[in-house]
Amino acid sequence: MDREIRIKAEPVDGSRCRFVVSEPLLEGARRFASPDEAAGSPLAVELFAVAGVREVLVSGATVTVTKDGPAPWQAVGKEIGAAIRRALAAGGPTVAAAPPASSASDESLYARVADLFEAEINPAVARHGGFVELVDVQDAVVMLRMGGGCQGCGMADVTLRQGIETALRQRVPEVAGIVDITDHAAGANPYVTASKK
Amino acid sequence: MGARARLLLLLPSTTYRAAAFVEAARRLDVDLTVASDQDSAFSAREPERLATFDFAHRDTAAEEAAAFAAAHPVAAVVGVDDDTAILAAAMAERLGLPHNPVAATLAARNKLEQRRALAAAGVPVPAFAVHALDEGPLAVARAAPYPCVVKPLCLSASRGVIRADGPEAFVAAHGVLAEILGSPDAARRGEDSRRYLVESFVPGPEFALEGLLEAGRLRVLALFDKPDPLDGPTFEETIYLTPSRLDRTAQRALEACAARAAAAVGLVSGPVHVELRFNDAGPWLIELGARPIGGRCSAVLRFGEGAAAISLEELLLRHALGLPVPAVERETAAAGVMMIPVPGAGVLRAVRGVEAARAVPGVEDVAITAHPGQRLVPLPRGDRYPGFIFARGGEPAGVEAALRRAHACLRFDLAPQGD
Repeated sequence: MDREIRIKAEPVDGSRCRFVVSEPLLEGARRFASPDEAAGSPLAVELFAVAGVREVLVSGATVTVTKDGPAPWQAVGKEIGAAIRRALAAGGPTVAAAPPASSASDESLYARVADLFEAEINPAVARHGGFVELVDVQDAVVMLRMGGGCQGCGMADVTLRQGIETALRQRVPEVAGIVDITDHAAGANPYVTASKK
Repeated sequence: MGARARLLLLLPSTTYRAAAFVEAARRLDVDLTVASDQDSAFSAREPERLATFDFAHRDTAAEEAAAFAAAHPVAAVVGVDDDTAILAAAMAERLGLPHNPVAATLAARNKLEQRRALAAAGVPVPAFAVHALDEGPLAVARAAPYPCVVKPLCLSASRGVIRADGPEAFVAAHGVLAEILGSPDAARRGEDSRRYLVESFVPGPEFALEGLLEAGRLRVLALFDKPDPLDGPTFEETIYLTPSRLDRTAQRALEACAARAAAAVGLVSGPVHVELRFNDAGPWLIELGARPIGGRCSAVLRFGEGAAAISLEELLLRHALGLPVPAVERETAAAGVMMIPVPGAGVLRAVRGVEAARAVPGVEDVAITAHPGQRLVPLPRGDRYPGFIFARGGEPAGVEAALRRAHACLRFDLAPQGD
């Protein structure tokens, strides 16, 4: 009997969108920077088959897709959803475990980013009842998840881009990018909530 | 090579628009400073990028902006809503940057001043009168024209706007309005929270015009139909559809009316959002704002086609910074957004049917912006939507049908108030 797979799309910006799936996909996180890295991971293979998909990040039950081109997420998202469902319907692991270590430099970066989060980022966001979790560093891309007052906050994007990203670029300039894999729609206690106008 | 331009973006902490404007600024590769009314978690660490200004006091905020700009020269100041449009004008004036006259933004913000300016310029507006909240409502009710609309001077998004068809309904509406205007967020607006308008109700379909003023000339970016009748007693915005299905002659009349209104108020630069009605007498100007379309609705607008398409926010930032604007023509597809009506009063537990709504052909996204545990308050008291539905397609009728089908899929699980 077919099982119901629910997928919630949360566009981050014009090029990135998170898809929160009702089933776990991977314990831990893995980033796929190109189709070449997708071999052995049916989910990534399916997603790279969607036109414009440039990068895939799988973390727990969340898939963060980066695409090229102007097509709106609202349109591309349906193809992404179908690709995720196909991969899950095939049975078996959808994503192979990440290689033992992406690289020595990622390990080093992880430690430095973790130190920065511990020493500066989290003390700062704690003032607004928030916290930021470092999920992983792969190919110099930092994957993070926001929680507490940051999750679902109307100003989360400002905090991420003007605060966290700036700090990372200043203190760990080798960081090539940041991906926020937070399920902001599930945030039950955001620091600020948007109003109509 | 000169230094990168710095954009001072004024984002109220309760805006829906932070992500869209920040993303647009990133695409333009400008130095961005976000100024808000509340400290960011990183304000102390990143004072060049995150400023906190006194949004409640315009002159103070302008001085704060000047002090900031002395250390970090600013190329443009951009507000995103009615209130920050005023602040942006005051700051730009203080900094010697191109701007709307402050008086014009103030007139646009205040419904009484706006109507006076429009009426004086011969722009068709509903007949109106202003009353003090503490005037005896029975006396005002006896003299009011019916049907009429009571309307606060200073609130947004139809909050506190109530139609009354007779004296009894008027007195009831007055009581509700007095309660709303006594709330802390309204009362902080001082004198404007102690007066209100009584307007003649103008029948006919309503439209919204999105425009850009360039040296006083209005460029129409989009004209939206509002297919759900807005006949009261409250005036909840739901569907916006573009392109408009109104005949071209009537569209031109609406556009001309909006242009006259902007000129009458004195606006010369930047976005305008205009709400109009059209009936046998022609166009009627209902509201004019020196701001872009509200909520998350701007996501429905794209300018240009294919890879060159840009968002409304990018278009506005380019205009403010004096950068080339590649396209001001909206894409050819029909597009629509539904501001999801508040389903009732209560505390949101969950929203069901979102996936089914997303699966409706033509629907591009369903964004639930209310969070679990949030108190939902219907009009006339409320000021938040639970979310938005976006659709796109070949024809407006198909887009409208998709929005309605998607909305019918949604089920809101509410706990009673105070639960």
